Amino acid sequence: MNQLSRITPVSDAEAARLVRPDTLAGLASDITATAVPAGSGRSRPARRRVLLIATPLAAAATAAVVATSIASPGHQHGSAIKDRPVVARSHPAPGHRTTRARVLSFVRHGGYIIVKVRDPLADPARYNDEFARHHLNIRLTMLPVSPSLVGTLVYMGSSQGASPVTPITARGRCYTGGGGSACPVGVRVPADFHGSEVLTFGRAARPGEQYESVAVSATAPGEVMHGMSIQGQTVAQVVAALRARHVSVARFNTSRNNIAVNLRHVPGRYYVYSALPWAPGQVILFVGPTRTQPAPPSPVRKGHDGIQPTASPAP
Amino acid sequence: MASHQGHLRNAGLPADMWAVSKGVALPSPPTAAQDERQRRFEAAYAAHHGPVFGYVLRRTSNPDDAADVIAETFLTAWRRLEDMPPEPQARLWLYGVARRVLANHHRGERRRWALADRLRADLAVYRAPEYTGELALIAEAFRGLPAADRELLALTAWEGLDHGQIAVVLGCSRNAVRIRLHRARKRLAAALARGQARSAHPGVSVPNGDLA
Repeated sequence: MNQLSRITPVSDAEAARLVRPDTLAGLASDITATAVPAGSGRSRPARRRVLLIATPLAAAATAAVVATSIASPGHQHGSAIKDRPVVARSHPAPGHRTTRARVLSFVRHGGYIIVKVRDPLADPARYNDEFARHHLNIRLTMLPVSPSLVGTLVYMGSSQGASPVTPITARGRCYTGGGGSACPVGVRVPADFHGSEVLTFGRAARPGEQYESVAVSATAPGEVMHGMSIQGQTVAQVVAALRARHVSVARFNTSRNNIAVNLRHVPGRYYVYSALPWAPGQVILFVGPTRTQPAPPSPVRKGHDGIQPTASPAP
Repeated sequence: MASHQGHLRNAGLPADMWAVSKGVALPSPPTAAQDERQRRFEAAYAAHHGPVFGYVLRRTSNPDDAADVIAETFLTAWRRLEDMPPEPQARLWLYGVARRVLANHHRGERRRWALADRLRADLAVYRAPEYTGELALIAEAFRGLPAADRELLALTAWEGLDHGQIAVVLGCSRNAVRIRLHRARKRLAAALARGQARSAHPGVSVPNGDLA
């Protein structure tokens, strides 16, 4: 075993040091601000605690959500704190409140039941009712996602052993960072399934509500920048094209001394490298001063004894 | 979760006050149980984020993927907190969650999590080391092993777990761990011997692992 210890890629301490303290705190507060599935002993999400270190932009986004909630009494499922997906299971859009149509489809195929979401806007309590009617201990929650992911599976939460519930995919239905074109659109549940499972599907976000899961790019099919070419384009060019589409930039991300920095404004001559959906009608642009994105820096960590890093450590 | 049976409304109430349409008022401040839940998560996060970050980075060559796997691991932990055992088992349970998230990623069921964005930016500077000489041979032999062997060996060598702890992570018996680990070590030793032979006689072809 000593041999393998010598090729430990990175120690726990080194891994932890890669992450800035505010990132660490931000991730924890983002996670605890998300909804917890029904039945887990918690009736509403905790408010954000002091762990939160919000950027001014995030604070601005929060204010926008509050304003939206207060201004439109028919849609106050939002909370005063952004990112709270309790909105996903608070109440349905008014047009869906009275509909009796089934919100899930259950198709028996062999020894399995294929479950898909028919109505990604319904009250999640109704999904859970339908699972219960099929005697399945499956809990479903919804998260706000970018348009091309609405109605797709964004998360499976089994933490107890290997789950027999598996995703079914529809190639090309959506594009994600990790899954590529293999878009999960439902689950396959053994007909005799007796375990428990937590599923999260994507739902449409409300105006101003930040997405919790997004497509691989804002230029992916179904997203607000689909069809736009951003390679080699300057910030000025891209922002002008976005304006024509009534899309705004929620923030610009750039890298300074190898640290990602969020900016409200960047020089128009900067170049755009990539774009991600952020909220309805809003994107985040990854930008920098050079036409092509600089190569990632060399490792910041020192090599172990006997290990030759491929490049010299970063200054 | 009775509160979710009704529709949340705040008409006529201050922005931070909520009431349920069926007449049951939700308390505005979080309950003691909610606070306790959050405290428990934060304690586990504070104590074990390093081991979880390490576990994931040691098994992922792509920092982008690592950020999503880490975020999803802690998100799962938060959502399944009731399943998390008390210390000292919590770290092992988190390894188990991370292992399953990683397996899903390797099967292509990956999602890019918005909440991993900041983490993704921080981890972007990480590059897995490349090895030379004898260590390169060890790394190559290790990479050539079946995934189950690699995980067992790594849990021992990289996470420093004993048989009982590995059994908790993998959800199998201690005896099964002992037997599988024994076989994995034999396969590693054989792979290493083959690599060393190849290295000593670079011109000799070694089809199917048999020394020519």
